Amino acid sequence: MSISVSEALRPARKPALIGVVAVVGIFVGVWINDTYFSDRTPVQPIEFSHRVHASDNEIPCQYCHIYASRSPSAGVPSVAKCMGCHTAVADARERPEVLKLAGYWDRQEPIPWVKVHDVPDFVHFTHKRHVLAGVQCQECHGPVQDMDRITRIAPMTMPWCVDCHTEREVENGRDCWTCHK
Amino acid sequence: MSKISRRDLLQYIGAGGVGTGAGYLFAEAIKRPVEFLIPPVVPPEDYSPGVATWYNTVCNQCSAGCGISVRTREGRAKKIEGNPAHPVNQGRLCARGQAGLNALYNPDRIRAPLKRVGERGDGAFETISWDEALTQVAGRLGRLKIEDRADRVQLLTGGIRGHLGELFEQFITLLGSDRYAQYDFTYPANLRLANRLSFGIEHLPYYDIANCDFLLSFGADYLGTWLSPVHFSLGYGQLRQGREQRGRCIQIEPRMSLSGANADEWIAAVPGSEGVLALGIARILVADGTYTGSDRDAWQRALEPYSGDRVAAATGVALERVQQLAAEFGSSKASLAIGGGAAAAGTNAVASLVAVNALNHLAGNLGQPGGIIFNSAPVFGSATRHAGLTQMTELAASMQDGAIEVLLLHDTNPIYAMPDAAGFADAMAAVPTIVAMSSFMDETTAMADLILPTDTYLEAWGDDAPEPGVGLPVASISQPVVARVYDTRSVGDIVLSLARRIGFELPVALPWANTKEFIKDAWKKLYTELDPQADAADFEEFWLAALQAGVWGRVEATGGPGDAPAPSTIPDIDAAAATFAGDTAEFPFILHPYLSATLFDGRGANLPWLQELPDQMTSVVYGSWIELNPATAGELGIRDGDLIEVESPAGSIRAPAYLFPAIEPGVVAMPFGQGHTAYGRYAQNRGVNPVQLVALQSDQQSGELAWAGTRVKLRNTGERARVVRNDGISRTLGRQILHPEENHA
Ligand code: SF4
Repeated sequence: MSISVSEALRPARKPALIGVVAVVGIFVGVWINDTYFSDRTPVQPIEFSHRVHASDNEIPCQYCHIYASRSPSAGVPSVAKCMGCHTAVADARERPEVLKLAGYWDRQEPIPWVKVHDVPDFVHFTHKRHVLAGVQCQECHGPVQDMDRITRIAPMTMPWCVDCHTEREVENGRDCWTCHK
Repeated sequence: MSKISRRDLLQYIGAGGVGTGAGYLFAEAIKRPVEFLIPPVVPPEDYSPGVATWYNTVCNQCSAGCGISVRTREGRAKKIEGNPAHPVNQGRLCARGQAGLNALYNPDRIRAPLKRVGERGDGAFETISWDEALTQVAGRLGRLKIEDRADRVQLLTGGIRGHLGELFEQFITLLGSDRYAQYDFTYPANLRLANRLSFGIEHLPYYDIANCDFLLSFGADYLGTWLSPVHFSLGYGQLRQGREQRGRCIQIEPRMSLSGANADEWIAAVPGSEGVLALGIARILVADGTYTGSDRDAWQRALEPYSGDRVAAATGVALERVQQLAAEFGSSKASLAIGGGAAAAGTNAVASLVAVNALNHLAGNLGQPGGIIFNSAPVFGSATRHAGLTQMTELAASMQDGAIEVLLLHDTNPIYAMPDAAGFADAMAAVPTIVAMSSFMDETTAMADLILPTDTYLEAWGDDAPEPGVGLPVASISQPVVARVYDTRSVGDIVLSLARRIGFELPVALPWANTKEFIKDAWKKLYTELDPQADAADFEEFWLAALQAGVWGRVEATGGPGDAPAPSTIPDIDAAAATFAGDTAEFPFILHPYLSATLFDGRGANLPWLQELPDQMTSVVYGSWIELNPATAGELGIRDGDLIEVESPAGSIRAPAYLFPAIEPGVVAMPFGQGHTAYGRYAQNRGVNPVQLVALQSDQQSGELAWAGTRVKLRNTGERARVVRNDGISRTLGRQILHPEENHA
């Protein structure tokens, strides 16, 4: 009089397997999205290369992001600023991406860059404080000088912020009010 | 291991596929929405993105003239605060001042010049260019000037102070007309006249609430709406908590206002009897020897009729209370009596205010700390063209007679703020050309043929010398805090460009390219006039400093607390009884309208922040309501929220009942401010306008509209209406949260 457990479970085995396959599928789906379709590296209206500017031509970050040390936002250069150099840099003028830039200038339109680094509105992040404290741009933004298309390497989440604040022993760095006011 | 059948395999693949798809979509769904970083095409010169810039300027939401600091970012105004350096409000601000942003960014602003295309009043307009609009107006005015008929041009503005008023004055005079009037519903004309009669000084003195020990207010809601509410609120705080000896406040009014609620005692005297009460107190002060002046006998004779019994009978205040008030008023070191609100808006308003002034004189507080301190006249531009009911009715008559060819309007809304019976709206129909210089399509602007949209006060240049002043010469420059939002112009610019286009001597006399230059020039003159030692070469520096500080004042100035002039009022002492329109039997209740601390006289009704701000006493938002005593309501079988028809000899309106315990049973109260038929989406068709109930009566001496002099009757329509309010219910429901004996179930 023995009862086979596996025999008893047999009718349930197939739905269970199907469920497992589906769950694995979900993870695969998330991975595919994250790997091949992530928003960490959005396509920009102009194929602007930080590598060319910051590495090859050694332009300092704050030459273009002029507000970083005096404002919450680092600031994206105005179209006029871009054109300031690109009218002078002769050999670059015929490149297709620079022609796009010139197009924006001719139409007097701003360039709609896609935001890569963002924190929610309830976070009062300020570049000024971080820059003045000597935090290097790369610590949050990654090796920008090596990137052609800009990509986000840090999660920009609260634990990530707090970890750094803790590690550096920032004064009031773990106080809610420091960022949420 | 059993073999997997083909059918099973397909099922597994299907499950995997669906799972992967779901996973992909899930990951997609939790992504943050794409945001853009839009750089400017050309970098801004005057700000850094993300960094706030503060500009100091002047509040224009009422005539107190508080100084404000406006926080701007990326060229947009974000928040208004009080300017800490300004002596009127010392960094504080009232709700109306805060809501200035709603005026600037109001979606119902007039955005371009408009020309009427349909019938007058249909609201059909077409957009035209500024050039065309100005050419038309200038052409019309110029032709009248050539034909020597420019005296048929009437300019009607709101209560404009500062040099802008002088610009209007010069413009209209140069044009060849003398017709300039200012209609401002809240202008304290009765108080000014009373002060002239009592003291010979018309400009408003400084009421030193901060330092008085005993404040007796006859209807003046000094914490909400009276003259300079922010400044007086500061004074009140000082009186209560800022010093060793806490001062006492008594409020005399038939319906409890915010100031009444904050007083030590609230006394509901019979409406219109405030002057009698003041003289009753005055008689005791003279009789008991508190007053020791040489003309004591004359005072005694003049006050003879105000014996205790008569006063008690006329005011409904018990004899002992009157005696106590007199004793306290006489014995306090610094006592101060003020009058305002409905007490200053009856048919005997001026007489009542003169009586209140007499009280101050008899207590010996004129020119004393904690009393009435006489300001030197405002540095410039005190309004002198105020038109009361008498002048406005005359104007309406001239318009009817065809004596007015062109009516130029700016920032005034008589169609809303005057009873229909005054006939202003009808008279406008008889005027061939109406031009409105306005930011909003209010009831009066909507009747115009041509509308020239103006900047709001946050976009324009101007200046102001606050009145009542603060005991020393003070003035402020008003500067734009943001670039204009729409295709508007400042009213000063409009007047100047009209002058250029009209020609003749106008461009010579008014040579300034814009309002800024005009104001700057005026200040340059002042700079050397007021301070003979000043070097004109330093003016630029002075100008920038004054702009930056938002206020200019001479702290060391003499002549502030001037000598108290001897009142010349003994023969004028006569608290004539107030008369009320409407038969007592037919209209049993006295209507007590009051200025709303939020919507004010209705000018704030288009600002959504003010609409959604609960009234301080009733907590009602948005609509209109009529306050009546629960006892009155009980007699009439009226429940809270019943729709009541309120009828006066002048008109009738409907509003829901609000049972309010702090009101005299024979009085019903309604706030001004709602009931607009135009004025944008937030104001239009919301609530009712109690001005429509006000009968056409004026003060016997000043000719001002006696808006507190009307009787009404009530009829329960049987319908229910919703009063949106925040106060829940007024009963404790047996929760034992009050003192046991007072535990109303
Ligand atoms: S009291 Fe008048 S001037 Fe002062 S902030 Fe309020 S509305 Fe503005």
